[in-house]
Amino acid sequence: MEIKFILNKKAVTIDVDPMKRLLDVLRENFGLMGSKEGCGEGECGTCTVLLDGKPITSCITNAIHAEGKEVLTVEGIALEEDGKLLIECFDETNAVQCGFCFPGFLVSSYYYLQTDGDEDLEKIKTALSGNICRCTGYQKIFDSVLLACKRK
Amino acid sequence: MKFFKPANLNDFFEITAKIKKNIYFLAGGTDINVQIKNNLLSEANIIFINNLPELKGIYQENDQIVFGALTTFRELINSSLVKKHLPLLSDNLQNFASPLIQTSATIGGNIANGSPTADIMPLLMILDANLIIAGKAGSHQININDFYHGYKQNKLNKGEVIKEIRINRDALTDVSTFYQKVGARKTLTIAKVTLAGLMKITHGKIEQINLAVGSLNEYARRLPQLEAYLTGKTKQQINLEKLKTILAKEITPISDLRSEKEYRFSVCLNLIRTFVE
Repeated sequence: MEIKFILNKKAVTIDVDPMKRLLDVLRENFGLMGSKEGCGEGECGTCTVLLDGKPITSCITNAIHAEGKEVLTVEGIALEEDGKLLIECFDETNAVQCGFCFPGFLVSSYYYLQTDGDEDLEKIKTALSGNICRCTGYQKIFDSVLLACKRK
Repeated sequence: MKFFKPANLNDFFEITAKIKKNIYFLAGGTDINVQIKNNLLSEANIIFINNLPELKGIYQENDQIVFGALTTFRELINSSLVKKHLPLLSDNLQNFASPLIQTSATIGGNIANGSPTADIMPLLMILDANLIIAGKAGSHQININDFYHGYKQNKLNKGEVIKEIRINRDALTDVSTFYQKVGARKTLTIAKVTLAGLMKITHGKIEQINLAVGSLNEYARRLPQLEAYLTGKTKQQINLEKLKTILAKEITPISDLRSEKEYRFSVCLNLIRTFVE
């Protein structure tokens, strides 16, 4: 089935099984390897992307859900001002350990910075509660986002 | 797996009439994609209902708040109409699943899936929510408290879909409410026990009480015998032994990987006592 959507600000059209997971579409059809598969059941958040500006887990989302919508992946976010700021803060704070969860945390943090941005630890914890870091390096991740909120 | 994409309800009725069996609806996809991953739906006819315009929106109609079945949890939590009239829902569903799943998961899908642990179910039950079921021959209404008859078994017939959920706008006027979900962590946790309660006290007596529980039976439910026992009583008249005896008749907790049945019984009893005593 032909599906049209906006991917990282560019209009794209693909011929794809409408039930193919959005995560697989991004990785296999577009070579965007930033979004990762962790649990594959929507629980860990490492496959997080923005769909029409809101964070979703792309492993339990289908290609058809993207039809006519805007998808912003971690690759797209890395080119945005707030994305660059977050990367800088994650870097300075040494927040990234094994790095597997990092793309998802970056997307959720970007959404928080865009829609709220308060230097409020509790709010940040809630905003990132759909993302799991199995290195358990949460404190430094929260510190990074707090720093980004401060600098913005 | 076959795929169908109706553009509206009429289209939906035509498509479903032609398919004999194995019909599955795809809305937000948060439950069905896990089943697909586990290869449980290879023979399924998937009907993508996420675009049906008739199933969208949150609005007020007379004294009712109407939720289209495709309302997502994020939309429900952020709705000013819900915050104003039914804050019990917006306040208590903040920790539903995770912020990411709240974007996709729909209320209609949650109800149709019918998990005994669904966070929203006890809330809808004490609010006496009505479901509008759309079928080719027309729509009919069924109360959420009459909708289930077994583990993940509901009264939806082939070719029917949940169109909307209706709740009395004034359901929370002059009542005290209670909601507690007991889980291992704050978000992304499946409830061990959930209790929702709504109570009206007049002259020191319980005039009306609605209690509903999740994760304690094969489907979430009201506790009618306990409600009947408590109605008309003052706090001093509530007998703990009697409370325990009735509760034991109404809930059938099991032991599983999340907790033991004894624990679930005690927690449920304590939650009820916290609310009524």
